[in-house]
Amino acid sequence: MMSADYPRSQMAIPVRHPLVHHVNKWVRAVPLYVMLLPTIAYFVIFTYYPLLHSIFISMQNFNLIGNRPYVGLHNYRHVLTDPTFWSSFENTLFLGISILLIGFVAPIIMALSLNEVLSSWLKRTVQMVIYLPHLFSWVVVGGLWIQLLAPDGGLVNAVLQVMGIAPVQFMSDPNLARWVIILVSVWKDVGFNTVIYLAAMVGINPALYESARVDGANRWHEMGYITIPSLARTMQVVGLLSIMGVLRLFDQIYVMRNAVIEPQVNVLMTYVYDMGFQEMNIGRATASALLILIFTLILTLFTQRLIRVDHS
Amino acid sequence: MRRKKQVGQAAFTTLNVVFLVLIAATMIIPLWNAVAESFSGSFASMRPGILMWPRDFSLSGYTTIWTVLDLWQPFENSVIVSVLGTLLHVLLSALAGYALAQSGMPGRRFVTGLILITMMIPFEAIMIPFYITMQQLGLLNSLAALILSGMVSGFSVLLMRNFFLSIPGDILESAKIDGAGHFRMFWQICMPLSKAGLATVGLFEFVGRWNNLLTTILLINDSTKNTLQVALNALISGGSSTSSGYLITTNVKMAGIIIAILPLIIAYPFAQKYFVRGIFLGANKE
Amino acid sequence: MKSHKRPYFALLSTSVVAGTLFTNSAFAAQPHKIVQEPTLTIATGVIGGKNPQENAAFADEIGQALHCKVQLISTTGNYDQKLMAMLAAGQKIDVVYTEGSTLAQLAKAGEVTNLQSQIHHSAVLGNSRVVPQWEWNDIKLSSPNGQGIYAVPVKYQGALMPIVRGDWMKELHLSEPKTLNDFYHMFQMFKNKKGAYGLTLSSLYDIQPFMSAVGLKNGYELQKGKFTIPYATPAAVPVYAWLHNLYAKGLLDPNFVTNKTSDERNLFLSGRVGMFVYWDAWVPMLNNLAATQGASASFDAEALPGAVGPGGKRLVSKGDTSVFAIPSNAPNKALAFKFLEWWNTRPGEILGSLGVKGLDYTVKHGKYQLTQLGIDDNMDHGDPEPISSYWKNPFPSMQKGYANARAIGVHYGYQPLINSDWNNAQQIIWQYGDDAILGRLSPKAAVADMHAALLKQHYISQ
Repeated sequence: MMSADYPRSQMAIPVRHPLVHHVNKWVRAVPLYVMLLPTIAYFVIFTYYPLLHSIFISMQNFNLIGNRPYVGLHNYRHVLTDPTFWSSFENTLFLGISILLIGFVAPIIMALSLNEVLSSWLKRTVQMVIYLPHLFSWVVVGGLWIQLLAPDGGLVNAVLQVMGIAPVQFMSDPNLARWVIILVSVWKDVGFNTVIYLAAMVGINPALYESARVDGANRWHEMGYITIPSLARTMQVVGLLSIMGVLRLFDQIYVMRNAVIEPQVNVLMTYVYDMGFQEMNIGRATASALLILIFTLILTLFTQRLIRVDHS
Repeated sequence: MRRKKQVGQAAFTTLNVVFLVLIAATMIIPLWNAVAESFSGSFASMRPGILMWPRDFSLSGYTTIWTVLDLWQPFENSVIVSVLGTLLHVLLSALAGYALAQSGMPGRRFVTGLILITMMIPFEAIMIPFYITMQQLGLLNSLAALILSGMVSGFSVLLMRNFFLSIPGDILESAKIDGAGHFRMFWQICMPLSKAGLATVGLFEFVGRWNNLLTTILLINDSTKNTLQVALNALISGGSSTSSGYLITTNVKMAGIIIAILPLIIAYPFAQKYFVRGIFLGANKE
Repeated sequence: MKSHKRPYFALLSTSVVAGTLFTNSAFAAQPHKIVQEPTLTIATGVIGGKNPQENAAFADEIGQALHCKVQLISTTGNYDQKLMAMLAAGQKIDVVYTEGSTLAQLAKAGEVTNLQSQIHHSAVLGNSRVVPQWEWNDIKLSSPNGQGIYAVPVKYQGALMPIVRGDWMKELHLSEPKTLNDFYHMFQMFKNKKGAYGLTLSSLYDIQPFMSAVGLKNGYELQKGKFTIPYATPAAVPVYAWLHNLYAKGLLDPNFVTNKTSDERNLFLSGRVGMFVYWDAWVPMLNNLAATQGASASFDAEALPGAVGPGGKRLVSKGDTSVFAIPSNAPNKALAFKFLEWWNTRPGEILGSLGVKGLDYTVKHGKYQLTQLGIDDNMDHGDPEPISSYWKNPFPSMQKGYANARAIGVHYGYQPLINSDWNNAQQIIWQYGDDAILGRLSPKAAVADMHAALLKQHYISQ
C-alpha cells in the first residue's frame, strides 16, 4: 500500500547473485543472528517448549495428581460440539470486532487532534491524562464504570435524571451492556495506542510540512497528504497487533459480567477460564485455548493477505 | 478570504481543544474518584456513589494500609523486578527489532513468523507447562524468574523494528560507507535515533511489569519476595464470597490503588519527554 | 520494621541485587537439608498473616508445636490457579486448603487422601464435641458416592441469613418477621421512616431466607435418583413475584444485579439499606466495625431466621465448607494429619483466630490483649470461629449478636446439595431469576424458561 513512499525502501537495493553470494548472505547475517539469539532462545524455552507440552496436555484426561490417560482428540471433539463454546465464539466476534474497529480509529483521531494543539502545556497534560486509565487494572476500571452507570447512585443516571429521563439499567440489559463493554474497552486503551502514534509522528520529517506550506497547503491538506500517509506503517502494526488479540478478550468481560448478561457477553477466554478453573478440566481447557490459537492464526493469515506487514 | 480562513482555523482549534478536554475529563474521573475516596473517613467512604471530594477527610486509609501490610519489602521487590526487567526487555527487543529491520537478512520471514505466533498464544494455554519449565530450570520462587519471564515480547520487537525502519536511509547509508558493522550501527546510530521508540516500549513494559499479578502469584511462594501488586491484591480483590471476616473499608482499598499507581504517574513525564523531542532534533544537527 | 528507614535505592547496589536474585528455593533449601526435621508444606489461600513478617512468625509457631519446619505457601487471590499449577507440576504438598465444591472434584479423581479411619481413631477429631457429626456429614457430600471423609473443616463455616438493623426494628416497633408480608411491611417502614432501601441482594445470592416461605431449598434435590432444582419449579413463582414487587415498589436496591457482596456490606454499614443476607460470623464484625469506625451510635446488626414455610419450617443455607485436605502424594502424611489435629486444639484455635503471640496479641496475668495489628486483623487468621464446643473467645464483648446468629445457623441451616455442574446451573437460575425481578419476564415465564434451559443443558433430569 503506502510502503512505496517509505524512505527505507530506497535502500533495499535488489541484488541477484549466484550461489557464492547466497552463502555469503548467511555469513554476513551472523551478527544479526547473534542479536536475535536471546529472543529466539527465550521464545523456544518459554513459549514453544511449553506450547508443545500443552498439545500433549490437550490430548490427555489431565488429572492433577496421578495418571493422565491419553484420549486423542476427544477433548477437541467435546469443545467443538459444545453449544456454549460456539455462542461464546459469536459473542467474541461481535465484541472483538467492534472493539477492534472503534479502537483502531479512536487513537488515530486522538493523536491527530493532539497534534493540532499548539500549547505544549495542554498537549502534555492531555497526553498524560488519556494514558491514565491504562495504568489502572481492569478490576478497578470495571468496578468504577459499574458504579458510574448504576441505577442508584450512579453519575450517569443522575445526569439523565436531571434531564428528566428515568434511570436506565445499563449493566443488566444485555444489549446496552455489550456496548458499555465495547466503549469502556476502547476508552481504557485509547491513550496507550495514541502514544504509539504520537511517537511515530515525532519521526515525520518537518521538511515535508515546510515544503507543503510553501505550496499553500492548509492543515487538512497537511493531515491528509503528509501525517496520515506517514503513519501508515504504524497503523499496520497496531492493526495487526489488535487483530491478534481479538479472540483473547477476557479481563473486561470477567470483571463486568453478571448473571443476566453472561449469555450475551461470555467470550472464548471466559469459556477457557470457567472450564479450567471452575470445572478443573485442564485437558479440555487447554484444548479450547489451543483452538483459540488456531482461529487467531487463520484470522491473522487472512488479514495479512490484505495488509502485508512483512514486505519491504 | 484570508480573514475567513483565520476565523475557520480559530474555530477548529477551539473545537479541537474542547473535544480533547472533554475526553480527558472522563479519563481523570477514575483517578480523581480514587484519590477522593482514599482520603475519606472509613465510614464515609463506604457510602455508595462516585466521590469527587473526600468525605470526612482522613488519612486513616493510608495509615491502615501501612500498618497492616508491611509494604517496604514488596515495594523494593517491585522496583527491582520492574527496573531490571524493563532494561533487559528494551535492550533485547531493540536488538531483535534491529535485526528484523534488515531487509537483506536471510530467514527473516521465518523468524518474524515465529515471533508473531508467540503473540497469538493465550497465556492460559501454556500456563501450566510454563510453570513446569520454570520449575525444571530451578527458577521458582526467585525474583530472577520474574525478570526472565517476559524478557522479550513480540509486541516490543515489532514496535522497535517499526521504529528502526523509519530511520532515514541516507543516515544509515553514510555510516555503512564509513565501514560501520551491525553492532556499531545499532549502538551508535540507531539507538540514539530511536529514543522515542525506546521510551514507548520502555514505558509500556514498565507499566506491564509493575502491574503484573498472575505470573508473580504463580512463581513466588515466599511472601518476602512478593511484589507490591500481589501484596495489595489481597485488599483490592477482597474475597467476596468466602466467609472470611476481614473487612477492608473503601478508603483503605483506594489508598492501596493510589499507592500502586503513584510510581507510574511519577515515571510517566520522564518517558513523555522523548515522545515530544524526537529523532529529527538529533538528526538535524548533522 | 528496621527496613523502614533504609532507602530502597540502597538495595539497588549490584551486590545486593545479585544476592536477592539468586536466592531461589533450590539454593535456599540446601543448608536446611542437614537438619533432620521434616518440612511440612501447607498451601493455602486464607490462612496466615497479612504481611511477610507475620506470615513467617505464623509458620514458626506451627513448626514449634509440631517439631518440624513449616513452609507456608499463602496465596492471596488466584489461589486456584496457583494450586493447580503446583499440583500439575508434581510439587509435593502436605496440606492443601480448598472448598467443598473443589474437594468433590479432587476426591473423585483420587487426588486427596481418605481420612475416615484416621479421624475415627483420633482423640481430637474423633471427639464429637470438637467436630460435631453433622460437619462430617456435610463434608461427606463432597465424597465420591458419599463414601469416605476426604477433608477436615478449617473453621465453623456458618450460614447465610438475613442481617437486619436491629436498632431500626426496635425504633419502629417491628417484631421478627415471619411471613413474606411481614418482611414487605418491614421494608416499607425502612423506606418511609429511614429513607433506606429495605433489602439489597447480590444477584440471587442468597434468597434462601425468602424461598424458605415456600419451603424450597437451594442447590439440587435428589428425588428417586433424579436431580431437580427446587428454585426452578413452579412452587418458586410466588417468591420471584414477591421480589419483583419489592423492586417495582422501590424497596429493593435497584443495583442488585451488579452488586458484589462487598457492596452489600458497604450499603448496610452506611445505612443505605436495612437488610441483606450474609454470614452469621459477620454480625459481630459489623457491630465491631460500626463501634470502632464511628457509625451511628445506635447501630446494631442482628440476624434473623428465614420466613416460616409449610409446616412451620424455616430454612437458611450453610456455606461451601472451607477444608484442609491431604494430597494423595503428600510426603509427610502423618505429620500433615498431626497438623489437622493441632489446628483444632486450643493453641491452634488461638493462632487461627487471634494470630501470633507477641505480634497480634499479648497475654498479661492470663488476660489477652490485642495489639494494633491484632485489631486491624480483626481476629481472623483463617479460623475466626473455631468449630469446637470447647472454644471460648477471649473477647466476649466483641461477640455482640453472634450467639443468636450462630444459633439460627445451627437450628435452621442445611448444606445445599451441589455437584460439578452447579456453577453453570446457578448461572441460568440467576439469569432468569434476575429477569423476573427486573420485570423483563413474568415470574411464571421466567421459571418455565429457567427450567427449560436447565433441561436442555442436562443439568437436571426432569
